Amino acid sequence: MKRRVGGLETEYGLVCVRADGTRALEPEAAARELFRPVVALGRSSNVFLGNAARLYLDVGSHPEIATAECDDWWDLVAQDRAGERILADLVSTANARLAEQGEDARIHLLKNNVDSAGNAFGSHENFLVDRRGEFTRLPGALLPFLVTRQIMTGAGGVVREADGGARFVFSRRSDHMWESVSSATTRTRPIINTRDEPHGDATRYRRLHVIVGDSTMSETSTWLRFATTDLVLRLIESGQVLPELKLADDIAAIRAVARDLRGSQPVELESGAAMSSLEIQQRYLDLVAPLADESEQIVLETWQRSLDAVRTGDRSWARTRLDWAIKEALFEEVGARRGIGLDSPQIERLDLAYHDIDPERGLFSRLQQAGRAPRVLEDARIEAARTTAPTTTRAHLRGQVVTEAIAHGVDHVVDWTTMRLVRPGAMPVTVLDPFATQSDEVDALLAQIRAAGTARPDPV
Amino acid sequence: MSQQTFSSSGGAGDDEQGEETAVGGQTFASAQAADSLLDEIDEVLESNAETFVRSFVQKGGQ
Repeated sequence: MKRRVGGLETEYGLVCVRADGTRALEPEAAARELFRPVVALGRSSNVFLGNAARLYLDVGSHPEIATAECDDWWDLVAQDRAGERILADLVSTANARLAEQGEDARIHLLKNNVDSAGNAFGSHENFLVDRRGEFTRLPGALLPFLVTRQIMTGAGGVVREADGGARFVFSRRSDHMWESVSSATTRTRPIINTRDEPHGDATRYRRLHVIVGDSTMSETSTWLRFATTDLVLRLIESGQVLPELKLADDIAAIRAVARDLRGSQPVELESGAAMSSLEIQQRYLDLVAPLADESEQIVLETWQRSLDAVRTGDRSWARTRLDWAIKEALFEEVGARRGIGLDSPQIERLDLAYHDIDPERGLFSRLQQAGRAPRVLEDARIEAARTTAPTTTRAHLRGQVVTEAIAHGVDHVVDWTTMRLVRPGAMPVTVLDPFATQSDEVDALLAQIRAAGTARPDPV
Repeated sequence: MSQQTFSSSGGAGDDEQGEETAVGGQTFASAQAADSLLDEIDEVLESNAETFVRSFVQKGGQ
């Protein structure tokens, strides 16, 4: 597919502590505090927003935002960043209320993937794929890419090895992957989840659900996850099934690749041969290059630069752009300054601070201010994405309905494909085409909303 | 430098950073910012870092 929609679901870690660092509220109670304004507005902790994203509380009291469907990967990054800001506002409101009540309690939301006990939570990428493309063959051709792309898009971090030693890895999430492909998400967490909910015309589309990704703070890293995977999907859709890249053991490979910071260790292939993670990535990049149009040359260039940073060990470009490299440089610098090793709890605290979405106290936004992390999108574009849906997909329709319904105080029910008003006899409007940006039915629904709002009887 | 090339597809470059390296005073400001950033990090790491880490335990999601 030349034009594809995608979306990103991010689960956030939640902790509420006293000034001394001890836990002030259990996650359930902290989540309740956080979602108070959401429940007040929508009478539910599961709502769609004016920017067409879904905000809800997931299993385990993880606040989650699923972005609207986007067909431009910078739009997607803007929506993802806007989601951070929406949640950061909720945190700030909740913390102000707790302080007012005289409570020694402060909520932190962490856009990361693992807590200190090793519980994992996710950052799930969704890509619309053509149903005709024989979905059964797609994962096989995509897996070697997903296993190795962490050398470019991993969030970086420190893992403890069985011998007690600590080491820096491209992705900590790699240790939480247990299967290549399955329909489960928690029990035996797979790289690709096959749950078939297309949120669109099921005869034409499937939704590819990639759950191997780290939550990325860097706009460049988030953009690369989507822009490069999109190109690889196009390659596979063009008929390439890439049997020569199939790995002997995806899960053994993903853990080995995470630890191989030079990208040079041989990874065993199904054929009995071996390739390094760098060689596998380079092969995908070379294969997709002819499929990239003018506007996508920048994807190829950035992808190549990311691989070169691993190949040469020269981090001068990567250490202010890619999450893992920003973190690697930071951990080294802070470690040397404080005389501590990677196994120090202070490094784990530093890692959490990096993923703290607080716009003032969070480390990532401070790194951006200091020029040590990328700021690609204009602030105004991120601000706009808080209230405005992407205009080139179906999200445009949903966004208008939600925005108007809230503005006119009209009760409504919305999901990814369907919108309706809560009133006797109201008919649902369903839009199955994810690329639709105009609909007479939706226009009629908008007219009803405006009429209902203005026709409200005056209070007696 | 190459972040500026993002501007074609991203709608924004980081012109500010480019200017910062060009103007002496601002380079100094940036070095100061880096120092104050490291001081801030020290502050976070010296205030109950280990306890904070241990407090962050949640059920898994997804």
